[in-house]
Amino acid sequence: MAQYPVLLFEILFMIDSSWLTEFPDMSRRDLLAIRQTLDGAYRTFSRAYGQSIEDFFNPLLHFLIWFENLLIQTPWWIVLIAIIGLVYAATRSWKLCTGVLISFLAIGYFGMWEDTMRTLSIITVCTILSICIGIPIGILMAGSDRARSIITPLLDIMQTMPAFVYLIPVVMLLGIGKIPGVIAVVIYAIPPVIRLTNLGIRLVNKETLEAATAYGATATQRLFGVQIPLAMPTIMAGINQTIMMALAMVVVASMIGVKGLGQPVLKSITNQYFTLGLLNGLAIVALAIIFDRVSQTYAKRAQRHMEGSDNG
Amino acid sequence: MDNNRENLIEIEGLYQIFGEQPDDVLPKVKAGASKEDVLAETGHTVGLRDINLTVKRGEIFVIMGLSGSGKSTLIRHFNRLIDPTAGKIKVEGENIMELSPKDLITFRRHKMAMVFQHFGLMPHRSVLDNVGYGLSIKGEKKTDWTPKATQWLDTVGLSGYEEQYPSQLSGGQQQRVGLARALCTDAEILLMDEAFSALDPLIRSEMQEQLIELQENLHKTIIFITHDLDEALRLGDRIAVLKDGKLVQIGTPVDIMLHPADDYVKAFASDVNRARALSVQTVMTANTEKLEANSVAEAKANFPQDKEYAFVFNSEGYQGVLSKQQIATLNDENSLKEVLHPVPSVRKANLLQKVIPLSLNTRFDLPVVNKAGELTGRLEARKLADVLSPD
Amino acid sequence: MYSKSLIAGVFTLAATSSFAASSCGKVEIADMNWNSASFMANVDKFILDHGYDCDAELVPGDTMPTSTSMIEKGQPDIAPEMWTNAVSELIERGVKEKRLSIAGKSLSDGGEEGFWVPKYMVDKDPSLATIQGIIKHAKEFPNPENSAISAFYGCPAGWGCQISGGNLFTALNLKEAGFELIDPGSAAGLSGSLSRAYERQQPWFGYYWAPTAILGKYPMVKVDFGSGVDKEHYMKCISNNSCLDPKVTMYPPSPVYSITTTEFEKRAPQAYAYTVNRSFTNAQMNTLLAWMEDNQADGEYAAENFMLNHEEIWSKWVSNDVKAKLDKAIDNL
Ligand SMILES: Nc1ncnc2c1ncn2[C@@H]1O[C@H](COP(=O)(O)OP(=O)(O)OP(=O)(O)O)[C@@H](O)[C@H]1O
Ligand SMILES: [Mg+2]
Repeated sequence: MAQYPVLLFEILFMIDSSWLTEFPDMSRRDLLAIRQTLDGAYRTFSRAYGQSIEDFFNPLLHFLIWFENLLIQTPWWIVLIAIIGLVYAATRSWKLCTGVLISFLAIGYFGMWEDTMRTLSIITVCTILSICIGIPIGILMAGSDRARSIITPLLDIMQTMPAFVYLIPVVMLLGIGKIPGVIAVVIYAIPPVIRLTNLGIRLVNKETLEAATAYGATATQRLFGVQIPLAMPTIMAGINQTIMMALAMVVVASMIGVKGLGQPVLKSITNQYFTLGLLNGLAIVALAIIFDRVSQTYAKRAQRHMEGSDNG
Repeated sequence: MDNNRENLIEIEGLYQIFGEQPDDVLPKVKAGASKEDVLAETGHTVGLRDINLTVKRGEIFVIMGLSGSGKSTLIRHFNRLIDPTAGKIKVEGENIMELSPKDLITFRRHKMAMVFQHFGLMPHRSVLDNVGYGLSIKGEKKTDWTPKATQWLDTVGLSGYEEQYPSQLSGGQQQRVGLARALCTDAEILLMDEAFSALDPLIRSEMQEQLIELQENLHKTIIFITHDLDEALRLGDRIAVLKDGKLVQIGTPVDIMLHPADDYVKAFASDVNRARALSVQTVMTANTEKLEANSVAEAKANFPQDKEYAFVFNSEGYQGVLSKQQIATLNDENSLKEVLHPVPSVRKANLLQKVIPLSLNTRFDLPVVNKAGELTGRLEARKLADVLSPD
Repeated sequence: MYSKSLIAGVFTLAATSSFAASSCGKVEIADMNWNSASFMANVDKFILDHGYDCDAELVPGDTMPTSTSMIEKGQPDIAPEMWTNAVSELIERGVKEKRLSIAGKSLSDGGEEGFWVPKYMVDKDPSLATIQGIIKHAKEFPNPENSAISAFYGCPAGWGCQISGGNLFTALNLKEAGFELIDPGSAAGLSGSLSRAYERQQPWFGYYWAPTAILGKYPMVKVDFGSGVDKEHYMKCISNNSCLDPKVTMYPPSPVYSITTTEFEKRAPQAYAYTVNRSFTNAQMNTLLAWMEDNQADGEYAAENFMLNHEEIWSKWVSNDVKAKLDKAIDNL
């Protein structure tokens, strides 16, 4: 009896009822055609525009190389003094400076100085790029609900899409090395700074913004005089997250030939050199902690007087 | 009060409807659908409906009403922080709805300053930088406006706090920073949205007094919002009462007290201790003649023939009252000072409560003098009694 | 569906109740992450499942980790395409300790490794087919990140060839010639860099191996080191991490074996016999890989296609009654 409705169903769709049990997917041939067409189109595209796109990224590449060489070729103690100086200028905390000093000395002692400098340079550049691109996008997003509804799903995709899916096409286009690495890292790491810039600006106290308008502030004056300063704590949190995510991408980036701490990690994973993996992994962790503490302490110091304000 | 002043702000047929498609809902509201019905049927909130009013140059115009009645919404139309769904807003005869974005910014910079209900201070700017905000945004250099900002901070009693940040100040202090910021711009029109609501009663009445005194010197046009009738009566030259986005009455404080337009206003009015709520200003008679005299002879010569008595002033200011009967008994050798009735003078800002005993002690009207010692009006005992006696 | 397969199961069980079939049981096959290996793993799975009543399962694998795991843990059971040069020591030890069995050559010609340049470069300048020519024209292989030095694309990190490639790089004095050994990070990185160069007809010089779809698709020339093959030195030193004094030698053809655990050999002798027989020539494999590339097929799809269309190859690997079973399974595809 219980089969009766199913029977009825089968009569209704007598010709072929297999779609009931199997998903009615498109034929392999059609799917294949689509895949081949798209891949072919991409190949044609990369052949036609690859060189000009590469040229476009050339200045960035030169900067990356210059910065990396600067960090590697400058004597280690000068680099170390510069780093400590920056940390002190940003945080005014001797405790943090000591921590940073010890971490870097340990890194150097275990022979990871050069790789660490490479990673440091690429992460720094990725962070700066993410900030320069991310904050304006976040501002755009905060200003228009339409922009937000378009950008948000894109950010979701960027954060969840497995990196290799876009890495290999990028490699086809730009070869292996720093530029594809930077692109991969930025794609993965930029969403937090965009999201939190948008959030921070949207959370700016409405009356404070109205006050600026009421006294005759132009849109630019409102943006730079009120919205961004008040959103700063939130934006800083976004930047902090961005740095962390960029560091998490170091190993993935090394899979397309980005030099740095990621390569030894990759090597040790496949060869089961546990100690090597652990040491380089710890160096990445040390960088992460340093970036995190320094940026947070700096943010806190810069925003001290805003404690307890509506926007906090 | 003086009713011949020119109109500064005129609002005609102003509607404000909040929601997705206000224009579609407007006809319904114009047809008279109630706020609740509109909300239930269309999901739109009627903020204001058919507001018509004029504000005169130099007056304190109070808008009052219960919470949610649309006061903040209305005041935000004066400088177009909100654009109306329908209606005209004219300032000095110019329809500000037609201003270009650039002109609107110029208009806001020069014509109006606003004090906000929740202060609206900028937490990342020091107190001094907050006070100078209006000027700095016009492009004035900090060195140029600093003396002025410092002076206004001093006026509101906050000198020494220049380098503090708003979060380091109490609510009352922050509100005064907001007031100083508004005054520092020299704008002619001051919009004050529940500027004193956050203050404790003591500071509040202090601030009210300060505002009245400031106004005596500055002669700004002030639009003042409050939900407190006591405050409205004390400050207002005229009061507009809002209910559910609709104007139910506009009038002088005495009008509102003595002739409430409906039960809503009456309910407000009946709660008020008039002696404590009304100030001399609300009942005084303006444009009173004074008698300038240093001696009996001068007094005889100048005494106004149609008056029973006169307020005598000399170069040192108010001296006392001289009656017509007295004049007849005097000869020129008498010292004028000795024969005058020592009737005390009162100030515009004085509460009726304070002047009642003075009025009871004399059969004359009380002279109203300002800070500079000039006569601005007189307080008639009869009017006082009228106002104080319940209807 | 359910009842149908159940009946089929009972039927086959009854029909083939010989001891060999019932003792095959669960078999783990290493599915390496390059096409030919993945294809072979899928073919093995299909044939073992349907012809030998095994319960075969694919597990992801890679040369080094898989061989280690087979020795240390006895899993997976089969590595269908093991390039033993890369892990020669390890395999030798495994065989000696009776943990691994070398079943047969999965590529009968052996794998081909070497340093390659695109054919269009050699067409223009035939001298580039030799290492002397390359060294002389080192400047023609610019490093994108530093035009002062030249680029040699090495083997991805963690692959056995990283060791041999590195040793040959040293032996050939390529560093002194101005080359930098670039680690492409992954197979995808290496093939990506090659196909990018090829699509734009740009110079490229690096390690690659055959049979691969890439080498099938993009004609490449293997660079002659002029040294011939010194197999002994290769085994002793070049393929060794601790090689102190590497000398130049061409890559000996890499033996590519099917490796199984000795335990599997004992447990399922008939299935083991199949892994001994299963073997491709490089020509066959190149065609298959090209088909895979053209059709973007994964290992499973390619295996099905192979079973359907290349009976002439696989029928030689199995007995007649197994072939009958397989035919039936193919009909159900
Ligand atoms: N942006 C808005 N969107 C929707 N409705 C609004 C908006 N602003 C105000 N309203 C509605 O308009 C009405 C009047 O609000 P308004 O803030 O003007 O009241 P108010 O008289 O200032 O009250 P209070 O004394 O509490 O400040 C309320 O019903 C409110 O819900
Ligand atoms: Mg309000």
